[in-house]
Amino acid sequence: MSGIPAPHAFDPVVLPGSNNQDLTDQVCAIPLRRRAFFWWWVAITPFAVLTGVLIVGILYLFYAGVGIWGIDWPVAWGMAILSYVWWIAIASGGTFISALFYLTRSEWRSSVNRIAESMTLFGAACAGIYPILHLGRPWLFYWLLPYPATMHTWPQFRSPLLWDFFAILTYVTSSVLFWYLGLLPDLATMRDHAQTRGKQVVYGVLAMGFRGSSTQWRHFKATYAVLAAIMAPLVCSVHSIVGLDFAGAATVGWHSTQFPPFFIFGAFLSGFATVLLLVIPLRRLLRLERYITGRHIDVLCRLMLTSSLFVGYAYIMDAFQAFYGSDHAELVEFTEKVWGYYSGIYWSTIVFNVLVPQLLWFRRVRMRQVVVLLISFGIIVGMWCERYTIVVVSLHRPRLPSAWGVYHATIWDWLTLAGTVGLFFTGILLVVRLLPVISMFELRELVVPRRTPP
Amino acid sequence: MNTGLFVAFATPQALDSALRSLRAARVGTIETFTPTPVETGTSIVPVLVLVGGVLGAIAGFLLQSYADMSAYPLDIGGRPFFSWPAFVPIAFENGVLAAILTGFFGYFVATRLPRLYQPVDEYETMRRAMRDLWCVAIRTDEPERARQVLDAHAPARIEELPA
Repeated sequence: MSGIPAPHAFDPVVLPGSNNQDLTDQVCAIPLRRRAFFWWWVAITPFAVLTGVLIVGILYLFYAGVGIWGIDWPVAWGMAILSYVWWIAIASGGTFISALFYLTRSEWRSSVNRIAESMTLFGAACAGIYPILHLGRPWLFYWLLPYPATMHTWPQFRSPLLWDFFAILTYVTSSVLFWYLGLLPDLATMRDHAQTRGKQVVYGVLAMGFRGSSTQWRHFKATYAVLAAIMAPLVCSVHSIVGLDFAGAATVGWHSTQFPPFFIFGAFLSGFATVLLLVIPLRRLLRLERYITGRHIDVLCRLMLTSSLFVGYAYIMDAFQAFYGSDHAELVEFTEKVWGYYSGIYWSTIVFNVLVPQLLWFRRVRMRQVVVLLISFGIIVGMWCERYTIVVVSLHRPRLPSAWGVYHATIWDWLTLAGTVGLFFTGILLVVRLLPVISMFELRELVVPRRTPP
Repeated sequence: MNTGLFVAFATPQALDSALRSLRAARVGTIETFTPTPVETGTSIVPVLVLVGGVLGAIAGFLLQSYADMSAYPLDIGGRPFFSWPAFVPIAFENGVLAAILTGFFGYFVATRLPRLYQPVDEYETMRRAMRDLWCVAIRTDEPERARQVLDAHAPARIEELPA
């Protein structure tokens, strides 16, 4: 690792000896390379293939209808909805890092926020396609919009499912704009750094003429801060509304007031896990150990541990409410969840999301990058299992025993899920290839002290 | 104001002290171009964002009220048509969307962007203003006096062009 010592929890946010020139040159050099890294081609090939699989899956779905999926009565919401919730949680985690920790002035955020925001962007893209695919007649999705229809009908504004449509629409739009606004100064740096005419024109047009003039900076700081202050409550509202999609229905296992915060805890957990999953390999592959230090890994691991305790609390409350309430159907559903046909998925959730992350109490574990990667990957799997439990297990035990049933995902469900994973990583790798992965202008303020000490 | 000077400094502190001298000496109009924000000040954009957000939320609430009370009243389990708590989430989301759109486009209006060419781009050193030099562009009638003022601050580079 070219003279960089192993990460340590007490590392500063930027390793000593860093300077602005090296930072700018190194970060700009990655997207400006004439040829991509060999590992980049190795990494993007399988994901690009999976993206192709997604397209095939979608085309066949449009041709044959949702019958190719495993959904049926009583489990009418299957992989599409649970994967949607899983992806939107991953996306939300990125916004927590970029917006919430901007407001708390956390210095560690500067190095990882571009990666976190890109994760939000592609996580939201993967999530956003699912509800539309899940519609039996996806070409009529515009019925969700309030528009002067010739039949004088209007959407049902009292339904959480419609709230969700508005929430996702707002969230995707805002994430793209927030991400792009935060890129402007770095795009300007790229424009001035680019050597070939083509790159100068492309980055120049994207930078829209940002030059670092005092007026531009003054408005930029104010606008960015205000948008961050709006993004933070927005992301909480979006994931709460996703929780209300479930809580709003009088379905056994869903009808619970704890769902909105419970879903936000899950978003925290999967967000931190995914960021670690991206940051640890990228810092090594792109030689960014100087700017993404042991401090970042340590902070993210601690936050992941904290969120893991949050979801642990939610799982305990879930059990408590089943026994505390007097609803027999809730008890049946809970017992089935813990000991029944799908109990393996429930216990995987507990193990991956609550038990294994307890290892992160130990600093030595937090500094073992391979172990952290494995724990993070376990959490991503665990979060998926949690969503599976919420969606499928709740639906397969409705109140009437005559309506009970079992759900199995089909090959098309799995291919679509794998396809969205491909889409996500293809997007992230394209960002790595084309844009600065570290927010240079923000890190510059840490590298170049604003005021010399008196 | 027929001469343009473009002066670059290696640190924000050097630029800071030079700006103070330049302003005190009143040599002409100055504008800074820097890789990090150096001067603080107020901006109109947050006010626009607030107005946009509030208007968006009100519009969202009114639209839902109109649809459910007047345009297409639907009896759902005997609940009142004006069931306002149910209108809050969409009103909030709509407000947020309007606020973010106002902020994003308001920024470009406030800064008069996009503007791909500006006369300052003619200076060679401008290529480094978003990289590693803290620069100031000066338009003045007395370039000699400006240079004298700047001398004390040891600029990294000075360029001169007829403006």
